[in-house]
Amino acid sequence: MKLLKKILPPPQWRVAVIVALGVFSGLGCYTFYVSKAYSYLSDKPEVCVNCHIMGTQYATWFHSSHRERATCNDCHVPHSSALMKYAFKAKDGMRHAALFTLRLEHQSITIGDAGASVVQQNCIRCHTVLNQDVGLAKVTFEMAKKNEGKVCWECHREVPHGRMRSLSSTPNAIVPLPESPVPDWLNELMASKKK
Amino acid sequence: MINLSEKIKQRPWLGWGLFGATMLVVFLLGLLASSVVERRAEATVFKVAKGAIAKHESRNPLWGEVYPLEYQTWEKTANMDFESEFNGNKPHDVLESRPKMVVLWAGYAFSKDYAAPRGHMHAIEDVVGTLRTGSPKTPEDGPQPGTCWTCKSPDVPRLMDSVGIEKFYKTKWGAWGSEVVNPIGCADCHDPNTMNLTITRPALVEAFQRAGKDITKATHSEMRSLVCAQCHVEYYFKGDGKYLTFPWDKGTSVEAIETYYDSVKFTDWTHSLSKAPMLKAQHPDFEIFQMGIHAQRGVSCADCHMPYKSEGGVKFTDHHVMSPLAKINSTCQNCHRETEETLRNNVYERQRKANEIRNRLEDELAKVHVEAKFAWDKGATEAQMEPVLKLLRQAQWRWDFAVASHGASFHAPVEIQRILSHGIDKALQARLAVTKVLAKNGFTGDVPMPDLSNKAKAQSYIGLDMAKERAAKKVFMEQTVPQWLKQAREKNRLVSTN
Repeated sequence: MKLLKKILPPPQWRVAVIVALGVFSGLGCYTFYVSKAYSYLSDKPEVCVNCHIMGTQYATWFHSSHRERATCNDCHVPHSSALMKYAFKAKDGMRHAALFTLRLEHQSITIGDAGASVVQQNCIRCHTVLNQDVGLAKVTFEMAKKNEGKVCWECHREVPHGRMRSLSSTPNAIVPLPESPVPDWLNELMASKKK
Repeated sequence: MINLSEKIKQRPWLGWGLFGATMLVVFLLGLLASSVVERRAEATVFKVAKGAIAKHESRNPLWGEVYPLEYQTWEKTANMDFESEFNGNKPHDVLESRPKMVVLWAGYAFSKDYAAPRGHMHAIEDVVGTLRTGSPKTPEDGPQPGTCWTCKSPDVPRLMDSVGIEKFYKTKWGAWGSEVVNPIGCADCHDPNTMNLTITRPALVEAFQRAGKDITKATHSEMRSLVCAQCHVEYYFKGDGKYLTFPWDKGTSVEAIETYYDSVKFTDWTHSLSKAPMLKAQHPDFEIFQMGIHAQRGVSCADCHMPYKSEGGVKFTDHHVMSPLAKINSTCQNCHRETEETLRNNVYERQRKANEIRNRLEDELAKVHVEAKFAWDKGATEAQMEPVLKLLRQAQWRWDFAVASHGASFHAPVEIQRILSHGIDKALQARLAVTKVLAKNGFTGDVPMPDLSNKAKAQSYIGLDMAKERAAKKVFMEQTVPQWLKQAREKNRLVSTN
């Protein structure tokens, strides 16, 4: 209670504080809504093209055999535990959001070490049986970096995103980009007013 | 909290501080929100041309109003901010760092002035400013023909269309000073109606015709190299009309072009020391690139020198033509998975190795020229000197072919190293031959070598009066060039930028 008292503003400030907090949370909600932050909890591939720069990755995956079995998160986040999964997602997501907002994205998007390590784990996770015979099931990305084996995509070079990595490599692909953030009712209201 | 109130009462700036901080946070949050909205919207923006362009429009800024993204990137060719291990886009006096090249080009304008190339936007400025074009006072003055303008400006196709190709070449360079004023730009490669890539220089079309090929049948991907091949090739000025011609009739290898030049008995100049009938390679970038692995796998010039770029939902070609090493992420890494550092070192490794042989060859060539002059002075006859001079011509042609095209050591590393090794072989054979001539004329010692440790010494050794050249150029730059620009403005050939 003592703590609460300390935090609560004095009566004469209340109105101003309420308005200020309202401004904060309103803007916060708006950013949350317009960036579709809530969608990041799901595993849908459509989420990954919230930032349109991932359109190339979406389009190439959509035309690959992996489409039938694996979505973005099956390969690109760890599956050792739910905690690991969301921690990794949060870490990667914050980084992507920051780079994208500040327009620092590269023209050819390449995977970082942390991401590559996860993808290699996931290759092995799904293709264990296949790999038992060739004895590659134990090669991690970290081992490959020290030249103690090869990562899968060193040979399977076109799996699943093809060879070209430029953001411009799939200019006319049909990608489910997020629709207008303006809700229909508002659009209708505006349209009816114009009349 | 009451404390805080009181504190503010005591120190009012605290209150202002709190106000400012809140304002800043809300402002930043607003910026973030609007940035998110903007980036959401840009995904759906489409590129639409914002106007029409007239036939033969050579004023680049007018194209820029219709195609701003391409234009803005093209404008960056003016930048001088990149340097790799061997080249960049900064002005660099090559003769200063390689004074032996002065001796190699004795008797030819290149021995006066030779600088590393800069971006397309500097084309006019550089061709006007170099000592090689001399200082014509009147439209009839030499030394160079109109042909020297051919690759410098989109004003050229316009001018060729109005006065005729032959007349354009034949007329003296100084005569077109007020006509050719816009640097290499839009109309050099684009059709003004369709924006399709197009060939605007006759020499390439004529070379294709003589080879029985129809350039209009080229694919889009081929055009992404052929528009560059209008200029970035080996060429020569044929006959008294100085008609720009590509020497491709027997093929495009260093040997095939040499055979062609020999067959038409062409000589760029007679060397002032050795009296050898020399060839000067221009910049056979296109020919050499065809022999490298990238071209053989179907990569075009534009793929690396003008990579596709996406800004928001808009895909366009980066018209900032330059070394791909400055943009490894959008060039090499589009196909190669290695890190930027690895890729850069892969390029440097090829360049360094070619450079090693080049340096050796350059040394040998300078020696042969000096030794040949010494032999003439000792009374050698033309018959005695003939094999020496032939080998010299062949050796230096190989050196020049490999060196003049700046990207050669990466474009086709194997071919360039082959050419340079044949160059060394020919140069050493020439030195052997000249030794025999000297012996026949009673000299068996070491030929004394001049001091070629810097450009000034080398230029004075070959007998150039550089002070006179520079003084004349200064007058030309201060009197003639401003006149050209004034006339160009009166004729409405320029869009004023300031």
